Amino acid sequence: MSMSSSAALWAPLSGNALRRLITVGWILLLLAGLVGLVQRLAQGHLPAGYGSYVPWGLWVALYFHGVGIAGGVFVIGALGFLLDWPAFRRPAVLRTVIVLCLAAIAPAFMGVWLDLGHMERAARIFTSPSFTSMMAFNAWMYAAFVVIAVLSWVLSYRADSGWLKPLLCLGIFFSVLFPSQSGAFFGVVDAKAYWHSALLPVVFLTSALTAGGATLLAVVAIISATGARGEWIGDDEAVNAIRRLRVITIVGLVLYFAFEFAEFSISLWNPVSHAPAVDLVLFGPYWWVFWIVHLLLGGLLPLALFSLGGPRAWSAAALLVAVCFVSARLNVLVPGQAVGEIHGLQEAFQHERLNYIYHATAMEYLVGSLLVAMGIGLFVLGRRISIAVASRSSTVA
Amino acid sequence: MSMNRRDFVRAGVLTGAGLAATVGAVLKDRLSTETSDPKGPGTARSLKVLSDVPEQANEDVLVRMQRELVRAMAKPVEQRRWIMVIDTRKCVGCHACTIGCVAENKLPPGVVYRPVVTEEFGEFPNVSLRFTPRPCMQCDAPPCVPVCPVHATWKRPDGVVAIDYDKCIGCRYCLTACPYGARTSDFGEYYTDGAAEGTPDGDARPTLGPHAAWEDQPSHEYCKHWDRTGHKSPMGNARKCHFCLHRLEVGQLPMCATTCIGRATYFGDNNDPDSLVTELVTKHNVQTLLPHKGTRPRVFYIV
Repeated sequence: MSMSSSAALWAPLSGNALRRLITVGWILLLLAGLVGLVQRLAQGHLPAGYGSYVPWGLWVALYFHGVGIAGGVFVIGALGFLLDWPAFRRPAVLRTVIVLCLAAIAPAFMGVWLDLGHMERAARIFTSPSFTSMMAFNAWMYAAFVVIAVLSWVLSYRADSGWLKPLLCLGIFFSVLFPSQSGAFFGVVDAKAYWHSALLPVVFLTSALTAGGATLLAVVAIISATGARGEWIGDDEAVNAIRRLRVITIVGLVLYFAFEFAEFSISLWNPVSHAPAVDLVLFGPYWWVFWIVHLLLGGLLPLALFSLGGPRAWSAAALLVAVCFVSARLNVLVPGQAVGEIHGLQEAFQHERLNYIYHATAMEYLVGSLLVAMGIGLFVLGRRISIAVASRSSTVA
Repeated sequence: MSMNRRDFVRAGVLTGAGLAATVGAVLKDRLSTETSDPKGPGTARSLKVLSDVPEQANEDVLVRMQRELVRAMAKPVEQRRWIMVIDTRKCVGCHACTIGCVAENKLPPGVVYRPVVTEEFGEFPNVSLRFTPRPCMQCDAPPCVPVCPVHATWKRPDGVVAIDYDKCIGCRYCLTACPYGARTSDFGEYYTDGAAEGTPDGDARPTLGPHAAWEDQPSHEYCKHWDRTGHKSPMGNARKCHFCLHRLEVGQLPMCATTCIGRATYFGDNNDPDSLVTELVTKHNVQTLLPHKGTRPRVFYIV
C-alpha cells in the first residue's frame, strides 16, 4: 500500500494537508502560549485565578495529565518491545515511544515549574528533598524515569546491548509507580475528604494507561497519515499496533469509569464527607466538564467510535480520549480543594484569592497552550533527532 | 518473550536496587525527627519587661500573661510549650485581632493569619452569633509539615510550626494539607497597586500609580528582616500565624492577644503550672477545632 493510500486510511485529509494543518495549529498554540509566558514572567501569579483556598489550577491538572500520558505510553511501548508485539518490537518504534514520553513529561514539568511561587528555588527539591513529602518523592521518581528513558533511547541504538531490556523493566516499574503516586499525592492529604481515598492511586494509574494508550494510538495514526512513518514497515504493522492500542484504551476507559462510578456511588448512596465535592463535580458550576467533556467526549463517544468505526474513527476516538482526559484530572483536582472544612472561612476575610471558587484565567489557558505546543514540538524534534542518529549509525537494528 | 535469563537477573537487580533506594530514602526522612533549631540554656532570654512594675492584685490579664511570658522566656526553648486559649463567649467579632495581625506582620492583600469566622444560629427572633477566631493551630501532629518537599516548614522545640521563607519554593502543597485553611500564599499583591494618584497642580487627570511606599515596609517575622521588594520572600511563599515569635523574643505577647478588646485571647506557656493558660485549659471543658483530624492543635476554645 502506498503512502497516499495509507494516509487516506487514517485521516480524511491528505498527508500534506494534515501536516500543514498540524503545523499551523502548532504555530498558533505556540504564539498564544508565548503571550501567556511573557505575562506569567512579567506579572508573576497576579493574572492567575488560583488562590489560597484553591491553590492549584489548570497547570497542575495539565502536569498530572502529562506525566500520566508519559507513564502510560512507556508502560505500553516498553512492554510491547519486551513482549515482541508486532510493530512494537523494532528499536525505532521504541525510540518514538521514548521520545513521546519525554515530550509529554517535559511540558508537564514546565507547567508545574511556572506554578511555583519561587521558580528559582525549584532545584531545592533535588538538593534538599524531604521524602516524607509525596511531592519530593514524585519529583525524584520522574527524574529517575527521565534518566532511564534517555539511557534506554541511547541503548536502543546498540542491538547487542545486554542492558536495554533490564533497563526497560526498571522503566516499566517506575512508570507504573509514578502515575500511581500522582494519585497518592492527593490521597495522602487527609484535609481534603474527596482526595483522601485509597482508590485514587489506582484511578490515576488507570487514567495514565488509558490516556497513554490513546495518545500512542493517535500518534501512530497521525504518523501514518502524514506519511512520515519511518519506523512502521508496513500498513499491516501499523494496523496491528492500532488494533492493540484500541483494545488497551477501551479496557482502560471501562475500568476508569467503573472506578469512578464506585467512588461516586458510595458518596451518593450514603452521603459522607466527600459528597459535597462529588456534588460539585456532577452538579456544580462546572457540571459540563464532567458530563460533556469527560463522560460524553472523553468516554461514551470514543467508546462508540472504537466499537463501531474503522481505523479512521479509532484515531478520532483516541484523540478525544487523549485531550478530554485532562478533565479527569481537573475533576479530581479542583473539587477536592473547593470544599473547606471550616464553614464560613471564605466569608471571614474576603478577598478574591480567599474563596473556594476557581476559574482558570486567560493567562492560564495561554500558558496551557504553550505546554501543548511544547509537547508537540519536542516530539517532532526528538523524533527527527532519533531518525537522524539512526541513519548515521551502522549498528541500528 | 525474548528476554533471556541474564536479562531477567539484570532486570531484577536494577528493579530491586530502585526499590531499595526508594524505601531507604523514605525511611530515612520518616524516622528522623530532629530539627536544626538551637536548644538548651543558650536559648533562654533574660528580659527586663515589667521588671520595674511591682505586681499588684487583680492585674489585667494582659499584664499577668506578659509577666508569665517573661518567666517562660527565661527557660530554654524546649521547655516552653506555647498554647493559645480563645474564649468564644467573650469574643464580640470586632476583628481587631485580624487587623492587628495584618499590621504587625505587614500582610498583603489575600494573606490572613487570623480571620474570625462568624456563624449564625437559629431563626429570627431566636438567633445567635458565634465568633471563632482561627489562627494557626500549631498542631502537635501538623499535616502541613510532612508534605513540604524541601524541609521548609517544621515543628520548633517550643511547639510553633515555623516556615523558612528562604527555603520555601512556593509549591502550596502545605496549603492543601491544612484542614483549617490556616496557610495562605503571598501572591505578590499590594493594596494600593494601580490606585489613582493626583498631580501636584491638580489640573491633570489622576494617573494610576505604583503601590505606596509604606507597603514596602519590611516585616520581622521569625526575628528576621523580610523585604518583599523585587519578588523577595515572603512574596511567593506560604505564610501563616507563628504566634508572633518575633514579639515573644522581646517579651511582648502576640499581637492578637494584645489587641483583643474583650480579653478573649489568652496566650502562654502550658508547661508553667501557674500560668493563666494552664489554669484555663484545666478549669474549663476546652475544645479544639476538627479534633477528628488527629492534628492535636495547641489552640483551645472555651465555648
